Amino acid sequence: MRPFLAGYRLELRIVRASPDTLIPFFTAPLFTIIFLTIVRHGGRHDLQPDALMAPVLMTLWWFALFQGGNLVTGDRWQGMLEWILATPSSLAVVILGRISAIMTLGSFGFLEVWAIGKLVFGVSIPFEHPFALALTLLVTIFAMAGTAVVFAALFVLTRNSYTFANSASFPFYVLGGVFVPIALLPGWIQPVTKVIFMSWSSDLLRASVRPSPIHDEWGRLGMVLLIGGLSFLFGRFVLRLVLRRMRTSGELATA
Amino acid sequence: MRVLTVMEHAFRAGLADYRAIFTWRSWALGWMVRVIAQVSFFALIGLRVANDRAAFYLLIGNALAVAAQSGVFSLNMTTTERWAGTLPLLVASPTSPVVVFASRGAYLVVDGSLSALGALFIAGPAFGLHLPWPRVLAVVPLTAIVALASYCFGTFLAGVIFRFRSINSLVVLVGYVGLMTVCGVNVPLSYYPTALEWASRFLPLTNGLLAIREVFAGAPWSTVVGHAALEAAVAVGWMTAALLTFNRLASRGRLDGSLDYGA
Repeated sequence: MRPFLAGYRLELRIVRASPDTLIPFFTAPLFTIIFLTIVRHGGRHDLQPDALMAPVLMTLWWFALFQGGNLVTGDRWQGMLEWILATPSSLAVVILGRISAIMTLGSFGFLEVWAIGKLVFGVSIPFEHPFALALTLLVTIFAMAGTAVVFAALFVLTRNSYTFANSASFPFYVLGGVFVPIALLPGWIQPVTKVIFMSWSSDLLRASVRPSPIHDEWGRLGMVLLIGGLSFLFGRFVLRLVLRRMRTSGELATA
Repeated sequence: MRVLTVMEHAFRAGLADYRAIFTWRSWALGWMVRVIAQVSFFALIGLRVANDRAAFYLLIGNALAVAAQSGVFSLNMTTTERWAGTLPLLVASPTSPVVVFASRGAYLVVDGSLSALGALFIAGPAFGLHLPWPRVLAVVPLTAIVALASYCFGTFLAGVIFRFRSINSLVVLVGYVGLMTVCGVNVPLSYYPTALEWASRFLPLTNGLLAIREVFAGAPWSTVVGHAALEAAVAVGWMTAALLTFNRLASRGRLDGSLDYGA
């Protein structure tokens, strides 16, 4: 638990020293305005709750992808990786602590989007199923953290991790049904979306702000948890492989 | 003549930077896939919200927003120089830093234009957008003007945040999402409050996008050229602002020692 908490505290200090980390809190209001203007201009006021849920997911995804994904690469650039690996604590636990801090921050995006909707357009998030909404957000954050570990492991292998991080935003917003449900995507692409936890999360989030009963709530929550958990295990496995290879070949330091 | 030589070298250095970031494969399978997904994401929203017409409106707007996005990326130039430790040397050299920065990132105009056109001509037909031949060819130079105007805007912003490295990415991201929000990308300008509609005419993208929408709508060429001329005027305006302010802002960095990457 101590390495986890140390990682958590370390990340909060890093964020405090680097305003760039908080980019999603500046773009989330803009995306909220963009989505709400589109649906209101189209006369689809019924889609306003969906327009509010999309920036929440995009904010969380951004934190997982750019901050979580670049953790190990950032440590490597700063020459910290050798020191971290030399300590007796598990790197995966420290990283999980750091990513948890990032995702805790990311969850404030929900409040921000809610406030922008209310202040700019007078539109609030309808809390039709508050318990389901809270649970969905919680498991989504868990799955995001698990996915971030995969990104952290894979990005170390790349020449320029930002290139890959940049490329993994909108394709996942489409495949994850962030705004448009995957049922509306072409049939041939739908099987791919089933293994992306966001497609389950986004459907559940939309369902939890609608008055109609939620179909198979626990089963769908379980899928988000399962995919998130498997992602974490896979990320941990890849990270171990990558670091072993780097230690063997002397590539831990970028120089 | 010497300025031209500096510009040529700076442009080549920029291209070398870009080649270090992207290979053809990572550009096509990484960046372009993202760009096409970005445009498709908004086109799908249009389909969900209304119909094909709304989807085409969002598709064209967001494809052109990609050109603006790449142009605003020129903001990253100063940070790159600072990280490389070459910024103080550039400022100390007899050539104005704005000449170097404006040339070094000029490849972004080409990249932004290619990316936007690629997105428009790949995602467009995929969603059933009719590309009126040969009228549609006019979209190519118009897209280049939008990319250029955004690049000039980005160069101006680069001067403003010259000494504040820690907020560089923040300004880049907020800059281009801000343009997506207020430049008529997703809804017509008439939907905005009057003051915002008026202000957006001074930003890159707005007028160029209007010109491109008119091309697709089959409007008279005089209307298209009128909007294009305004976009070009916006480009000239932002580059003039960059030339007037950049050196002064850089000089302040020399005074307070904030040019070094450790600052």
